[in-house]
Amino acid sequence: MKEKKNSPLKRREFLRMCGTAIAGGSVLAVGAALAGRAKAGKGDIFWQIDPAKCTQCGRCETHCILPVSAVKCIHANRVCGYCDLCGGYYRSNVKELNTAAENMMCPTGAIERKFIEDPYFEYTINEELCNGCGKCVKGCTSFGNGSLYLQIKQDLCVNCNECQIAQVCVSEAISRVDYATAYKLKE
Amino acid sequence: MMKRIFTIVSGVVASATLAAQNRFPKPDFESGYEYPNLQYAVPNEIVWDVADIVMLVALLLSATWAVMKRRKPMIWISVVSVLYFGFLRNGCVCSVGSIQNVVLALVDGTYGLPWNVLALFLLPIVFAFLFGRVFCAGVCPIGALQELVNIKNGRISKPVTMVLGLFPWIYLILTILYAATRSRFLICQFDPFIGIFRLGGDVELLAFGILLLVISVFTGRPFCRFLCPYGALLSLFSAVSVKKVELTKKKCINCELCHNSCPVDAIRAPYANTPQEERREGVKRLLGYMLLMPLLVVSGALMMRASAEGLSRAHKEVRLYDMVTAYEAQAAPEIIPLEVEAFYMKGRTMEELTATKDAIVADYRKYATWAGAMIGLVLAIALMRFSIKRRRETYEIDQSSCVACGRCFEYCPQNRVATKLN
Repeated sequence: MKEKKNSPLKRREFLRMCGTAIAGGSVLAVGAALAGRAKAGKGDIFWQIDPAKCTQCGRCETHCILPVSAVKCIHANRVCGYCDLCGGYYRSNVKELNTAAENMMCPTGAIERKFIEDPYFEYTINEELCNGCGKCVKGCTSFGNGSLYLQIKQDLCVNCNECQIAQVCVSEAISRVDYATAYKLKE
Repeated sequence: MMKRIFTIVSGVVASATLAAQNRFPKPDFESGYEYPNLQYAVPNEIVWDVADIVMLVALLLSATWAVMKRRKPMIWISVVSVLYFGFLRNGCVCSVGSIQNVVLALVDGTYGLPWNVLALFLLPIVFAFLFGRVFCAGVCPIGALQELVNIKNGRISKPVTMVLGLFPWIYLILTILYAATRSRFLICQFDPFIGIFRLGGDVELLAFGILLLVISVFTGRPFCRFLCPYGALLSLFSAVSVKKVELTKKKCINCELCHNSCPVDAIRAPYANTPQEERREGVKRLLGYMLLMPLLVVSGALMMRASAEGLSRAHKEVRLYDMVTAYEAQAAPEIIPLEVEAFYMKGRTMEELTATKDAIVADYRKYATWAGAMIGLVLAIALMRFSIKRRRETYEIDQSSCVACGRCFEYCPQNRVATKLN
């Protein structure tokens, strides 16, 4: 007879209360566990390329979700040799050192060259034109001082939860960094 | 062949330069040339992070207020959410995707979980636990976008809804599996709405997103009901929430208007539940399902464990292992894949890669077993729910499916009188 007295509604309410207690408890438990982790985290919120790891595969140009990649070439003037025959500016099989299109390494003409004094030339990247293909970086790293290198421009990057370039990066060069090291500059 | 030699030679050159790169000395300028001072701007993300959370809390509170007061749906919440979280913030990072960061933080001690991601993950859950799925109502830009385009509430038949309703759970389990093994963020990769918010992107996903939007014109929120893993998570909390979404304090007059107005089919019609069979028969059937549960759980676990090797292909290092093995197996390789080229360039060895790959596959075996068991459990619970039928005298809100959009409030004649909506 006792069972009959317990109407199903009461049983249901009891179960629901148990569920509420479990749910509330789990929220608190997960929250507490994660709060510790969040505090321990350095706040690595920016994506950045480590130039020491980059192998200039060229995927930065094509795999960024932006119409034009947020990866741009950056020039460290203090590392540059200011060479006339620049491995980043001219193609490797160049015959004459002039600005004819077939001699240029950069497909978009984003590298500007300025005569300083004999025999030095200053190179500057026009960020508007650079598409982050890394061709000049490959040339400079292979034959020069490695003063040209790729970096994710933080003012352009939209900070995807998971960087699409990092997904296909062949050299594991892209990782999350914190505010202080938002750029890995060669200087 | 020539190409291969060239690439390997250039590879050797490049790897040599990684170590020492000062081939040319620093120039001695005589003309007084000064190095240009280039500055690279770092945007102050902290301001945006704070703004995101303030916005989230403000919208959650507004939605909660509307639901508690039984007001008409507040379209401006959806509009603000779509404009801010969607178009302005490019739909990234969102609460739906934050599941993956949280899973990663739980399994990987070295991963620093940003505090704003933690807040994005926890706040909607806390609100769901206290007041129901107010986050889904219009705070989530994905839900809000579908809500804004919705016109008709086309009904999908019960069995189809049941089957499609399993997808969010399986999606959630697979997402956790891939995040826990540090392979990829499934939700981010297959987000159909990110392309719409960013006004461009992957064509297939964009097409899928537009298709979902077209469907949501005719039936409410297809993504929320049949795909969203975060919604599945929230439904667990809203089912047992402290305060429930209530249609009216007054007595229901069974007019059916609320049922017709619900975009997500979350209002259950009265049901007499006159059993066709003996009570004992029903109990027997339920026991049968309960016995079936361990069977489903174990077989799910075993099946997923068996396919762990295949699943692990989602991990970059395992794919690299495959590529290198395939490349080395070729007698006269023509083209060297970029990945393999980088592998040789960095001087990595096959032994080290094999060890890494084995560790990843072992990881997969562990997590896939759990995932399989969970999928089995989800199927078993779905089966058991078939056999539980409850008597309802009035129209009742199914708290787990209800997204708290508040459309029924203005349709309920009893509520219209009570809240003076007229």
